Amino acid sequence: MVSSDEQPLVHDIRLSTVGPGRVTGQDVVHEPTNMDQAMKLHYLRGVYYFKSQAVQGLTTSKIKESIFTWLNNFYHTCGGFRRAESGRPYIKCNDCGARFIEAQCVKTLDEWLQLEKDDDGSLRRMLVSNQVVGPELFFSPLVLLQITWFKCGGMSVGLSWAHVLGDAFSAADFMNSLGQVMAGHQLAQPLKLAQSHISAKISPSPPKSKDPLSVKRVGPVGDHWIAANNSKMKAFSFNLTSTQISHFHTKVCGQIGTNQIPFFECLCAVIWKVVAKIRDGPEPKMVTISKNDPHGRKNGILSNGQLISIVKADFSIMEANPKELAELVLNQAMDERSTIVEAVERDQGLSDLIVYGANLTFVDLEEADFYGLELKAQKPAYVGYTIDGVGDGGVVLLLPGPKDGPHNGGKVVTLIMPEDQVLKLKFELKKEFSIA
Amino acid sequence: MPSPTVPEFSKSVKLKYVKLGYQYLVNHILTFLLVPVTLSIALQLIHSSPNDLLALWNSLHFDLVQVACSLFLIVYIATFYFLSRPRTIYLVDYACFKPPCSLRVPFATCLEHGRIILSSQPKAIQFQMRILERSGLGEETALPPAIHYLPPEPNMAAAREEAEMVIFSAMDSLLKKTGLKPKDIDILIVNCSLFSPTPSLSAMVVNKYKLRSNIKSFNLAGMGCSAGLISIDLARDLLQGHPNSNAVIVSTEILTPNCYMGNERSMLLPNCLFRMGGAAILLSNRWSDRKQAKYRLVHVVRTHKGAEDKAYRCVQQEEDPEGHVGISLSIDLMAIAADALKSNITTIGPLVLPASEQLLFLFSLLQRKIFKKKSKAYVPDFKQAFEHFCIHAGGRAVIDELQKNLQLSAEHVEASRMTLHRFGNTSSSSLWYEMSYIEAKGRMKRGDRIWQIAFGSGFKCNSAVWKCNKTIKAPIDDGPWVDCIERYPVYIPDVVKL
Repeated sequence: MVSSDEQPLVHDIRLSTVGPGRVTGQDVVHEPTNMDQAMKLHYLRGVYYFKSQAVQGLTTSKIKESIFTWLNNFYHTCGGFRRAESGRPYIKCNDCGARFIEAQCVKTLDEWLQLEKDDDGSLRRMLVSNQVVGPELFFSPLVLLQITWFKCGGMSVGLSWAHVLGDAFSAADFMNSLGQVMAGHQLAQPLKLAQSHISAKISPSPPKSKDPLSVKRVGPVGDHWIAANNSKMKAFSFNLTSTQISHFHTKVCGQIGTNQIPFFECLCAVIWKVVAKIRDGPEPKMVTISKNDPHGRKNGILSNGQLISIVKADFSIMEANPKELAELVLNQAMDERSTIVEAVERDQGLSDLIVYGANLTFVDLEEADFYGLELKAQKPAYVGYTIDGVGDGGVVLLLPGPKDGPHNGGKVVTLIMPEDQVLKLKFELKKEFSIA
Repeated sequence: MPSPTVPEFSKSVKLKYVKLGYQYLVNHILTFLLVPVTLSIALQLIHSSPNDLLALWNSLHFDLVQVACSLFLIVYIATFYFLSRPRTIYLVDYACFKPPCSLRVPFATCLEHGRIILSSQPKAIQFQMRILERSGLGEETALPPAIHYLPPEPNMAAAREEAEMVIFSAMDSLLKKTGLKPKDIDILIVNCSLFSPTPSLSAMVVNKYKLRSNIKSFNLAGMGCSAGLISIDLARDLLQGHPNSNAVIVSTEILTPNCYMGNERSMLLPNCLFRMGGAAILLSNRWSDRKQAKYRLVHVVRTHKGAEDKAYRCVQQEEDPEGHVGISLSIDLMAIAADALKSNITTIGPLVLPASEQLLFLFSLLQRKIFKKKSKAYVPDFKQAFEHFCIHAGGRAVIDELQKNLQLSAEHVEASRMTLHRFGNTSSSSLWYEMSYIEAKGRMKRGDRIWQIAFGSGFKCNSAVWKCNKTIKAPIDDGPWVDCIERYPVYIPDVVKL
């Protein structure tokens, strides 16, 4: 997007590579688990915005030096994928590195955030890379970092993260440890991940031959890890203040009291109804829910430990009571993780699946510590995340809002939906959340 | 391995002892001659009485004037001898630049960048990969920041920044190690072959450290990888003419402006081998430095083969057909290097070899020239003249060639090979990383003799001989090897699997 002057909004783009400062060594490999392989066609794109006070005195070369120390702990994110003889992909930890992008922006941070409010998501795209793994598997970086400097001295950090490395909670931990390294703290050495144990824990039952409902088979995509969509997907967000949240919550669940349904489930119910209303064709009777599983992750280890469950409704969604629907989502979600793992195991890791967007998917990222990335002991002014490689079912993300200032307690709802549904969705959702 | 049969074994043992005996005899011939003479004089003295000696003295009819004149003559000759001896040049200390780990270039990154930059030239990509696999470099070598970009951004400002990073870091290190005050530096020589801005790099050093206005500063450019020893030679000559002075030499190669962006094979090799590095050396002729100095300079021998056209053109900086500037290496580089080395050895041999080796060489020469016997030229055993060898880490082939020609063992060339692995070819400063390796390993003892050999465009082969002045105890607490010396030596396979 070009502003009225000749210079594009984001310019002076320079690419380089960063990697671990220590030599990882020969023949070190990292084998993604079956759950990781199931998520390989998805990509997280996160942008962290920092005010100029948080980054005063910071230069790109200082950041790069910290990154080299930081990546010593995460050397497998700096490797490249290879295929074993069976065709199953694994990461060769050859220190190939993560891509590092530097850019300058002609606007100040506040001007930019203001522009983003009225934008359809393409502005934020300029602050983070949209590269995917492939078509050359060997030399595709799995992590891409973009540092964009704003005219006022503020900065944004854009993380492009291959979901095969870990879920959003892991990505948040990954980024937060960068803040710790930059503050001069030593990172504890992460425990060595015992791959086989985790997948064994989730699948005690004998293998079923049925495919999980929460995934859709696509492809084959070969070495280019992005699935084709029938329609172009667009992302848009709502920032919700705490007042709006409690208003909405009361509207759906009744008075605040005991046995209250959490906000996320209420949100799912309402948006499910709205989507059912505006979509052509049959209404979606199944939704996928993705939440954090606190038992599934060990500190410091990146993994795809998120809970993935399916909710089936056997009544009409459009006519359903939101509260009943929310209760259904809360209580009747069926954990599909073992089924997914078995499906991938059956195909020996060669299957190409999408999870987000196979059905209408709701992802609860409230507990993700996105605001934990602190520079000079200051939290980001704002953090936005989106997902690429989403299927036509669409994805709804619930993200935590900024922790400081007037927006404390707020949340962010980001929707990634087919282009033709976006306008109608925006209209309906503005009504639901009483947004002007 | 089957043990040799008894006659062979006894023959080899006999030969070994014969050789040892011969060496001992020839090298200490003066002792062997003097001892019997001295003994016989002493015996005579013991047998004769003091009266006989006094009578002998009186018979010589010396008078006071004669005695005084002869004494005066002796004193005069002695003074003349001592004054006309060249000043001893001490190497007080030196410091090498240690690149930060954020500038490291792993193989995979090198390949990935190569594929992106040369994406239209798959053959060039393959060629680069083959060179990298066989180069003998490790995964911790460093390139300057400007070359890490896709595409590389070689501009003058970045080149100056690299120069400042390398030179100031080495100088700071040297000043800290030696306690030298910048105002005390009398001579400054900076050598950097491929980057020569105005004002010069030596002026940059003078400006940064606020050196004296009457400093003798020199900037040597364009002289290739052997320029480090040329600077040492220049410093030595200057220090002969300036009593009680010191000289600081900065040897480096600035890579930023020289990243080759084309795809000519003969020019791609330097891209794969040259890496960031630099060293700062403090030389002195002051009497007060003789105790704390690490080394003493014994010889510097310079050989220039530029008179021959083939040698002159074998390393040539030129533009390729597409206009990219690069350094083209000719195919007979190794043969020319071997030839230059032979010339250099012919000059340095008589200066350093023990008499036993020189005699053998003379006999072999006579055999071939006068008696026209068709035997191979005798290669003197330089291991008897030196304890340590620092061969410029120009590339694996150079080290292999010299190891073969000089019949050196793996341990003798270990410093060179490991420097090539850890730091790459850092051009004129590689000799100092190698010295530092030997020190870090605790192998440098007082009295050890070191031979530094460097090759450079032109074609030049320069040698310096140092003698260790004081034993350097390991572990040393600074220097470029301080955090990795325990990992070395490493096994370097012929071909690394990438």
